[in-house]
Amino acid sequence: MAQSSELQTGLYRRALLAGLWQQNPTFRLLIGMCPPLAVTTAVKPALTMGVSVIFVLVCSSFVTSLMRNLLKPHLRIIMFTLTIATFVTICDLYLKAYFPRMSELLGAYVPLIIVNCLIIFRAEDCASKSGLIVSILDAIGMGLGFTVALCILAGIRELLATGCIFDLRIMPRGFVPWLAMQMPVGAFVTLGILLGLASALTKKKES
Amino acid sequence: MPKIKYFIQQSWLLIVSSFCFGLLIAASNAALSPQIERNLANKLNKLTIALLPAAKQFIPLDADIEVQIASGKKEKVKIYKALSDTEQCVGWSFNASGKGFSNMKLVVAVDKNFEKLTGFDVLVCNETPGFGDQIKMSYFRSQFAGAPVEELTLVKTGDPTKIDSEIVAITGATISSEAVVNILNTFLDSIKKQMKEKGLLGDGTK
Repeated sequence: MAQSSELQTGLYRRALLAGLWQQNPTFRLLIGMCPPLAVTTAVKPALTMGVSVIFVLVCSSFVTSLMRNLLKPHLRIIMFTLTIATFVTICDLYLKAYFPRMSELLGAYVPLIIVNCLIIFRAEDCASKSGLIVSILDAIGMGLGFTVALCILAGIRELLATGCIFDLRIMPRGFVPWLAMQMPVGAFVTLGILLGLASALTKKKES
Repeated sequence: MPKIKYFIQQSWLLIVSSFCFGLLIAASNAALSPQIERNLANKLNKLTIALLPAAKQFIPLDADIEVQIASGKKEKVKIYKALSDTEQCVGWSFNASGKGFSNMKLVVAVDKNFEKLTGFDVLVCNETPGFGDQIKMSYFRSQFAGAPVEELTLVKTGDPTKIDSEIVAITGATISSEAVVNILNTFLDSIKKQMKEKGLLGDGTK
């Protein structure tokens, strides 16, 4: 009995922690790469996008897991898309109502969460095959991993492009802003360096 | 009959879920749309005041003005008369909408004689961030402040600081720039004609 409970706790822990590093969607799996490149000019929009993705991931995983035994194989992608689109629409409406500035700043990228392959991947790979608790923990872990990755990228870009983070001056007065960091090139270069670092760290750990 | 039974067996979950999700979206929309409308109204006020700084109040015009948009449909336009603190007309403002890559809604302001644009700003825009949404930037919008109310033309190269009917397109966002020029051409010409016909310009401006 105790062994079974221990096994279950281990399963829950693995589900929650996998997304943070081992299967981090941005640094390890390289999926859902549109937001990391597009909305990481500053930490605030990156954080908003991350929280939106967490909300959609958790809600869609919850619903998908609930109806996993009723899903017909040939209808599952339509069902996933329908579920994800519903929660993305609600999230978009909420941002428009209570965070209009952020909604404007993120523009089309909020509705585009519908086609973020991270969410459909978790629905297909985890929520449609696992129980409710594992699915939700997995969604929280993956969402947090994605948000942390977005914030790291955005933090580096915002700091080097403006010298500030969250409007707080971090760099010394004489610092010359690297304007290129606000442009797409900044996103590609920063992401490339971070991916290289993540890969090197994993290899070091494995060896 | 067996066909219908098979169809229901296969798709009942999809039908029931679509209905439930539809209800959920309708409920969220009903709960959040008043706040969204309020945000839009606040933004409209802020933008219009910025375009017509001499205005102290805006009076909606009690006239039926319709504009035929690109799809062939007629769109009703609400015109606002901008009054100074001495109740003199200082300009007119209205909303104009159209399509670039996606739908966009502009707020447009003109002077009291409807001869010069005082500018435009973007109320709603879902153009590609970083490209099409550059129409919101002042370096593009400043070309319209003072431009004559006549057929505006879009050019790919030129001096954007020169204020005339030639508008220099944004590099990488030609479709969005073109959309703004088309929307303004459609609305300005039609509204000016109708306001003249109804005698709202000239005497109406006093």
